[in-house]
Amino acid sequence: MLFLVAAGLQLVFGVQRILNLACGSFYALGAYTGVSAVTWALGHGLPASLFVLALLAGGLALAVIGPPLERLLSRIYDRDESFQLLLTFALVLMLEDVMRFVWGSAPVQLRGAYLVYGQVTVAGSTVPVYNLLVIAAGGAIALGMGLLLTRTRFGRIVRATAENREMAAALGVDMRRVYRRVFTLGVVLGTVGGALVIPATAAVSEMAIEVIVEAFAVVVIGGLGSMRGAAVGALIVGLLKAGAIATWPEVEMLAIYVVVIGVLVLRPAGLFAGATP
Amino acid sequence: MRTTRRQFLALTVGATAAASTRLHVAPAFAQSGPVRLGVLAAKAGVLAPVGESGLRGVQWATDRINAAGGILGRRIELVIEEESSPKDTVERFRKLALHDKVDAVTGAISTGVGLALGPVAEEMKTIWLAWDATTQKGVEETIARPKYSFRSTDNECEAVMASILTARQWKGKFKTVAGINPDYSYGRDNWAAFLAIMKKYGIEVQVVSELWPKLGATDFTAHVAALGQARPDLIFSCHWAGDTPIFMKQAHGAGLTKSTRFVLTTGGGVHESLKKEFTPEGAILGYNTFYFEYARMSALGKEFVRWHAEKFKEWPNYESDHGYFTIVAYKAAVERAAKAAAGKWPAQDAIIQALEGVEAESLSGPRRYREDHIMEATFFQGTTTHKNKHDFVTIDPVETMTTKQIQKPSGVGLYDWINGWKV
Repeated sequence: MLFLVAAGLQLVFGVQRILNLACGSFYALGAYTGVSAVTWALGHGLPASLFVLALLAGGLALAVIGPPLERLLSRIYDRDESFQLLLTFALVLMLEDVMRFVWGSAPVQLRGAYLVYGQVTVAGSTVPVYNLLVIAAGGAIALGMGLLLTRTRFGRIVRATAENREMAAALGVDMRRVYRRVFTLGVVLGTVGGALVIPATAAVSEMAIEVIVEAFAVVVIGGLGSMRGAAVGALIVGLLKAGAIATWPEVEMLAIYVVVIGVLVLRPAGLFAGATP
Repeated sequence: MRTTRRQFLALTVGATAAASTRLHVAPAFAQSGPVRLGVLAAKAGVLAPVGESGLRGVQWATDRINAAGGILGRRIELVIEEESSPKDTVERFRKLALHDKVDAVTGAISTGVGLALGPVAEEMKTIWLAWDATTQKGVEETIARPKYSFRSTDNECEAVMASILTARQWKGKFKTVAGINPDYSYGRDNWAAFLAIMKKYGIEVQVVSELWPKLGATDFTAHVAALGQARPDLIFSCHWAGDTPIFMKQAHGAGLTKSTRFVLTTGGGVHESLKKEFTPEGAILGYNTFYFEYARMSALGKEFVRWHAEKFKEWPNYESDHGYFTIVAYKAAVERAAKAAAGKWPAQDAIIQALEGVEAESLSGPRRYREDHIMEATFFQGTTTHKNKHDFVTIDPVETMTTKQIQKPSGVGLYDWINGWKV
């Protein structure tokens, strides 16, 4: 799931040169909306086994907040990075309060969905099937993003824009439209990520900040602006965390940042810097 | 922008009104105006539900006291501020003391905040009645023999009681243990207390896993996987916030709830979130100092539970009672001190003296402040059951222990005290 948030961050940065802190808020928003969507759908007679559809619909529906937010951010495209950080961080705080206003400050849980698909035993450990589904979904989305960026017309335009903004504009690409779509895609990656993770956890308003920090570690390891970097970086961070907790829990956070520092020292631009987004 | 005459008039009237209310609370009138009590309640983050709960107890106490004529005829007026980071909360405490000129401050849950507030209360010479915020480490050093701070019960009481229950009920039935506790002094001290008590009871345990997720974590999959590999007979956890149900849900998903015994010292603070679908029966669960369904609860407690359930559609937890007690204890102390002052409003030093050893009826029965400014109360824990009308677990049978049994006495270190037990 970290991959999806990081991918959203990468995409928006790669194309629009905006460092969007609010990607974490989209994740949190997706989680809350996922709970509401599934609860509503189950209440209206959706069979429990199809709850994933409601979850995805909730995440996708949040695409509507993409265009207006993009409009707001469009004012700072050519400004200094510090303005971008300030404005997107302001968005984080505002969205956090919006979530608290709508869903309250107590954690919100999704009831009775996590174990609908049962559990399986893999190498001696019991794993809910839903966890495997989420892993599969993450892989599928990564693959889909890859195809979208390399095989479609929209993907070509996006890559061209990332490569050379002025040239793409000169060739007749409508920048405003590309920006709007790319930003919305970035939003949806975050909200779907949040929605998919919610059956296994609970939505809390500060989950935004938590995920931003990790997403930045992923991005630094993978290389800013690179899709493949997001995937590999997320994998590295996830495995490091799990490995550290299993062997030496005290170093969980340390291990991640040691790698971050290592990457910054040895390959300051990240493992996959310079690759096409 | 031009201001019309009407707007100007409205502004002037508003400003005058504001100025006159200011005057009204000026110190010169303080003896006859309302008693002003500052409240520090967390409103954001993992602490928010707990802060909200404490505030409800304070408000209920205040409304009842005011309806009955106030304290010595003076109404209570609450000035509510937010508990957040230690630095910001300290500033708000100063604002309450200097600007709002409150008579006392009640509130604060986080130990980090509490450690910062202790010295400031002394410096500002303002009475501070804490709701919680009193883990072992650092409290002795920074709030040693305070004059103005009154602390809650020791935070380790819950772990001590749960460990005693574990030893009594399950001695000989488990060998390997794992601890998963939030990574700060509270989690570390509770786990150490548990191990010390197991040793005291002659139970030889083998620690197979010690995990320290950060407070408020929302993903425990890696921790749960590590626990699954370690296969402990018993898992001890003192999680108390919104992370508790997440951990239980994921532990259940990984099949841990089938064969492992759980000791959840403090989960009762978020009891409604511990749904039956992932919280097993037969676990030891602690509710701190207030259990909403205690069969022998006083009429006062029952009235509060009814009001709370009706107004908030939720069953109350212990923090409401902490909040409630701080207000009624303050009232009792003022009245006690007033007796010596011929019925006049007593000086602050006299109130402090009266608070030492003061007794008052809390929602869960009688409570008091010890002479060393530490609260004495009754704790409620028990074995989880699914046999109730709710969708979350409750406990049956309910065990109670008082702080006389599970709180270290004045001036003794926690572990020295445990090691000195005769079991």
